[in-house]
Amino acid sequence: MTSPVRAAQPWSPQPWGPADGSASTNPDTSFADKFPSMRLITWIWHVRGSLALAPGQSGNEAFGRLAPLFDETGTSHERTNDTLTFSKKDQPAQDKMSVFDSGALRIEKGAAGSVLHYHLVSRALLFCFLLVPLFLGIAQLTIALGKLEKPATEAVGASKKPVEKAAAVQLNPIDKFLGAPAPDQPKKGDADKPAGRNKKPSATSAYVFAGLFAALYVIGRILEAWLVKRLFRKSLLGS
Amino acid sequence: MDGVRVGNRVVGTQSPVTIGWENIPKVEGGPLKRLFFSWFQPAFLFALLAFWYYAPNSIATISTAIWIGIVFRVLMLGLEWVNPRYASWRLTWKELVVDLFYVGFTYTLLRIVDSYIGSDVVVKAIQAHLHLGKFAWFTGLPLLVQAFALTLIFDFGQYWMHRGMHNWYPLWLPHSVHHYITQLNINKGAVGNPVELFLIGLGIGGFFDFVPRAFLLAGSFGLAVGTYQHINVRFNSPKWWRFLFTTTEHHSLHHSQDYESTRCNYAGSFIFIDRIFGTCIDGEAELLGMEGGRRMTVREQMTYPFTEGWKTLKERFGRPSVAVPAE
Repeated sequence: MTSPVRAAQPWSPQPWGPADGSASTNPDTSFADKFPSMRLITWIWHVRGSLALAPGQSGNEAFGRLAPLFDETGTSHERTNDTLTFSKKDQPAQDKMSVFDSGALRIEKGAAGSVLHYHLVSRALLFCFLLVPLFLGIAQLTIALGKLEKPATEAVGASKKPVEKAAAVQLNPIDKFLGAPAPDQPKKGDADKPAGRNKKPSATSAYVFAGLFAALYVIGRILEAWLVKRLFRKSLLGS
Repeated sequence: MDGVRVGNRVVGTQSPVTIGWENIPKVEGGPLKRLFFSWFQPAFLFALLAFWYYAPNSIATISTAIWIGIVFRVLMLGLEWVNPRYASWRLTWKELVVDLFYVGFTYTLLRIVDSYIGSDVVVKAIQAHLHLGKFAWFTGLPLLVQAFALTLIFDFGQYWMHRGMHNWYPLWLPHSVHHYITQLNINKGAVGNPVELFLIGLGIGGFFDFVPRAFLLAGSFGLAVGTYQHINVRFNSPKWWRFLFTTTEHHSLHHSQDYESTRCNYAGSFIFIDRIFGTCIDGEAELLGMEGGRRMTVREQMTYPFTEGWKTLKERFGRPSVAVPAE
């Protein structure tokens, strides 16, 4: 029977195949394992890694040291002999692993000693990655709406009588005395132009945010993988 | 928890809060550090006001304001790193991404929506319907008076909108999402359900004509005062500053996990509005959020007002389930 924790995971993280390297026959094998080429795609939001345990450190001791990381609000976890699986829901920002939503940690014994393998899933990384096309789409939508509106605006402008004349603005005498620059006098046609904050939205903001999220994704994908490795290492060393 | 009596109310019965300026921690460190964190806020506000007052017309533009805003926010991110108010509010990569998503949402999609049904559009329609011009006499006032009046008009409206959100269920539903944040950071003010972000941006400023420079000066209050509502920097704000302006302390109390504490400090920039209407409490809180600090996912932030509203409607008007007796 599948444990409730496993059932709660959006993806079943199983980065390690059988020890002999043959294809896994386990029906619970992840999508990425069935289609190895998909690993490149799932890499976007899956973080895999490994860490050698200190010589002589047993699996029990290692999991014991890692346990406090999973005693957080919104985190449920389950442990078998050599594997720990966890799942998070509504995890607070203060959780050191809040960027991850589920994952599995497994300790394997090798010739050179025991190694901790981990496979973590982050919807935040996927979200950040998808924000790039989302904001590019918003930019296109802004442009399309601008084009749709242009003919209508031009039509209104053509039929408008040129009666409105932008009034000249005078500074208050106090401001004149204090030396504030006088406002520019409106030029011909300024009355028809939308002023300052009333301007129609431009696509530039959306492009800027798309670029920002692309940069943030690259930073996050590297930073969070490094931070979680450091967190595991520190926890295992007990520092 | 016993809580603390403040006037007619008892706050801090559900979650710890600190009440009274004398109990709030001060910036620690060398004299230079204390000097900087004591006088940065007023120095920056007055410098910004002086800049917008005297800058030549070629420099006093919206694009300059945007750049100043960006540089200021980057500086605040640096100060959050150097002198955080609470380590538990430390900005993480995930929080930064989610916060910036909402900032981006406000600057793009919400702006499109505003250009069709925002308050400026409504004001224009009213003016056209009633053949009203803008209140042009406003431009004859001194620049600083115009700027202060513009900010006050907006903040006064926002105060009542915000207070209404905490007292009327249909408005509370969209606003409640913003109260699920568990930290205060530079961009946390942007986090909320889109309906709330639209509502809180409504104003009657469109009725007034003003010198463009006055609009930029008014922005100084928003940037150099309003920004401090949601920020993780400890300042030793001068007494007169915290009497007049909303501080992080005030707003952290408003975001406390303690229900009674959330029902105070509604003003965005001018806390004296709260003082006038008896809703101000001087204090701060570290534990923020709702439901014991449950953090909402972005999906839930988007849907919560609608799903909760639907649940409430069904409870109130839905058919009561009839119990079938066992045979």
